[in-house]
Order: sequence, then C-alpha cells, then structure tokens
Amino acid sequence: MRFKSKVVLVTGGSRGIGTALVRRFVEEGARVYFTYLSSKAQAAEVVRLTGKPHQIFALACDVRKKKDVQKIVDEILEKESSLDILINNAGIIRDGLFLTMSDEDWSDVMETNLGGVYHFCKAVSKQMVTQGGGKIINISSVIAELGSCGQVNYAASKGAINAFTRSLAAELASKKVTVNALAPGMVNTRMSSAARAAFGDKIKDRIPLGDFAEPEEIASVVAFLASEDARYITGQIIAVDGGLSLLCRR
Amino acid sequence: MQNYNPEIVKNVKVIISQALKVDESKVTPHSSLVKDLGAESIDFLDIVFRLEKTFKIKIPKGELFPEKLLTDARFVKEGKIMPAGLEELQKKIPDADWAEFLKNPTIANLGDIFTVGMIVDYLSEKLAPANK
Ligand SMILES: NC(=O)c1ccc[n+]([C@@H]2O[C@H](COP(=O)([O-])OP(=O)(O)OC[C@H]3O[C@@H](n4cnc5c(N)ncnc54)[C@H](OP(=O)(O)O)[C@@H]3O)[C@@H](O)[C@H]2O)c1
Repeated sequence: MRFKSKVVLVTGGSRGIGTALVRRFVEEGARVYFTYLSSKAQAAEVVRLTGKPHQIFALACDVRKKKDVQKIVDEILEKESSLDILINNAGIIRDGLFLTMSDEDWSDVMETNLGGVYHFCKAVSKQMVTQGGGKIINISSVIAELGSCGQVNYAASKGAINAFTRSLAAELASKKVTVNALAPGMVNTRMSSAARAAFGDKIKDRIPLGDFAEPEEIASVVAFLASEDARYITGQIIAVDGGLSLLCRR
Repeated sequence: MQNYNPEIVKNVKVIISQALKVDESKVTPHSSLVKDLGAESIDFLDIVFRLEKTFKIKIPKGELFPEKLLTDARFVKEGKIMPAGLEELQKKIPDADWAEFLKNPTIANLGDIFTVGMIVDYLSEKLAPANK
C-alpha cells in the first residue's frame, strides 16, 4: 500500500498502458482519477473491474483542450486537498511517411502528445508547488531517441516531451516536485497492434530481451518512479524497452 | 509593519516560512527574501500562489514582484537597471531600502529589496476596504 491516501491523475486510462497504471495505483491504495477521450463504456468497465468504485473516477477530457484540462483539475481539487501524482500517458500515433504526411496528422500528434503534457503540467504544477511536492511522470517512447520510418510526427512529439521533462524538472526541483519520463519500447496494446501484426517477428529480433512488454510491466516502473523509493530521481528519461535502444545504437 | 493588521502579519509570516522552509522566527519585517531567507525565483511564485489562496485575492502578474520589468530593454541594460527602470521600481515599491540598492543597482541585487515588510505593505493596501 505504497500510495495510501495519495491522489493520482492518469491521462488516457481507458485502454492499454493507462488502464494498467490505473489498476496498479488503485491496488496500492491511491485515489485515482483517470481521463479518456471517447471510450466511455470502456472507462466504466475499467472502474467496475477494480471493484473499488469509491477509489477510482473516470472523467471525459480531451487533453488537447486547455479549458477542459483546467476544468478537470479544478474539479479534482474541489474534492481533494492535494494532487500528488500526475501521469501524462494519453497519446496517439498517426504513422505515415513524411513526404505524404498531412498537416492534420502532424498537428493531431503534436497537440495530443506534447500539448496534453503541457496543459496538464501547467494545470497541476501550481498546486504541487504550493502543497510542497509532487511527482510528474510523462510517458514518452524509445522512438524519441531513435530514428523510425513513418514516425516523424510521433518521434518529434516524444523527443519534445523528453526535453520538456528535463527542463521542468530543473525548474521545480527546489519545490520537491520531481518530473521524469518513461520511454517504453514495444508494448502489447492497441496502439502497437498494427506494427506488431506487420513486423512483429522482425521487431522481436531486434529486442535483446526477445519479447514485447506487457502494460503491467510499464506500470510497475511508473509506480516505482511515483514512490518515495525514487525520491532522488528527477529529470530522467527511463527506458523500459527490453534493451531495444541499446541494440539500435550499435 | 507593526502598524498593520496583526492577522495579515501572522499569515504572511506563516506563508513565507512554509514557502522558503525557514523558521518563522527568522521572518521579520526587514528580512530580505533573497539575502536573508534564501529565496530563488520560483519561490516568488510560490509566495504569490500562497498569498492568493490564503487571502482569497488575485495578484496580477508583476504586481507584487515586478519581474516583467527586468526583461524590458528600456529599463535594463547588461544586467544594470537604468534610471527609467529605477523610477518605475521606486513607484511600485516605495518603501524599500533604496539607498543601499542604489549603490549597485543590478538585477542580481534586486532580490535584496524585496522584504517581508514589502509584502505586508502590499497586502494592507490591497485589502483596504476602499480598494476592494
Ligand atoms: N504501445 C506501445 O508500444 C507504446 C510504446 C511506447 C510508448 N507508448 C506510449 O504509451 C502511452 C499509452 O499508449 P497505449 O499503447 O496504452 O495507447 P492506447 O492503447 O492507444 O491508449 C491511448 C489512450 O489515450 C487516450 N487518448 C488518446 N487521445 C486522447 C485525447 N486527445 N484526449 C484524451 N485521451 C486521449 C485514449 O482514450 P480513448 O480510449 O477514449 O480513445 C486511450 O485511453 C502513449 O503515450 C504512447 O505513446 C506506447
């Protein structure tokens, strides 16, 4: 029960890694608020499956919209006296070769992945500073530091998240707010399903540990970063990628 | 500061000691937030947020700590505050210890003029019935 009496906010909790995060924090005693974009029924199912409806709350919120984000955070702070942990997890891909990438695919990815991180950090950091501490964890990707065909938009958004993470960490450290990012490799979720179906074995060959991660394996590292055991870690990008980034750098 | 509402003084002391993690007994009207109490730039924001919450007021950007002025080329050159900048600052913070600051009016030293008393002065003015 590492997170008993802690208040956690997870963006994009209706599926994949977000759902694993929500479950993990509920199991460890936190009061968890999570957002989703359109999967209302799925979000309700996530709440139901935890069996702790008084401890978990689903909120519809488009992370691209500053006003919506501020509203959600205000609502939480009307009920709670603190907001201890923010996990910026919501993200999308719109893969395609750069030469034919539409402006919309570029801006959708930037506004969701980077814009979402910006809006939520902006909305919670004031609270975290005045409450004397907090933990922010941004879900980046190993692609931020590698080159990947068809992912110029996604890689740019995640690279920006890494840079954002380091500088925000530097600014907030004296207020005991830590800011870190986690860079998963390939995780078994809907987001990666097309890539896994198309190049699954090829990708596996390049992963030193030889398989894909389960969402729960990402959640356990996030839980560590959000815990007091990680008190002394800030501004870091932690790769959880089965060694994928090592091999690609050879 | 002793002429002011003791409630304001008490709250300001608590806020500053919490934001700067210093003992309340060190927070006196003449303590300089930077020189004596070790404030850094983010601490000024922290103090403003806490004042807003405690006193249920809105403090517009730059009204209490005039940080915007410091990036204005008309007022600051190569780290030194120009006469026009000094005039603006003195208008905004009439009660500061200007004599000492004017000996070396650099941005680096500006933090020295922000005192606990200055915050109490600001609040007393802002919370006065006529200004509500
Ligand atoms: N899967 C991987 O292999 C992998 C690898 C590296 C990094 N990551 C990163 O891990 C994070 C989670 O990925 P995942 O694989 O779990 O993805 P996923 O299964 O596709 O789930 C994405 C989540 O984000 C939400 N979302 C999307 N756009 C949103 C918006 N505009 N506003 C609010 N919520 C929005 C979705 O809500 P709805 O259900 O309502 O659409 C959903 O809950 C992402 O940041 C991703 O980039 C994933």
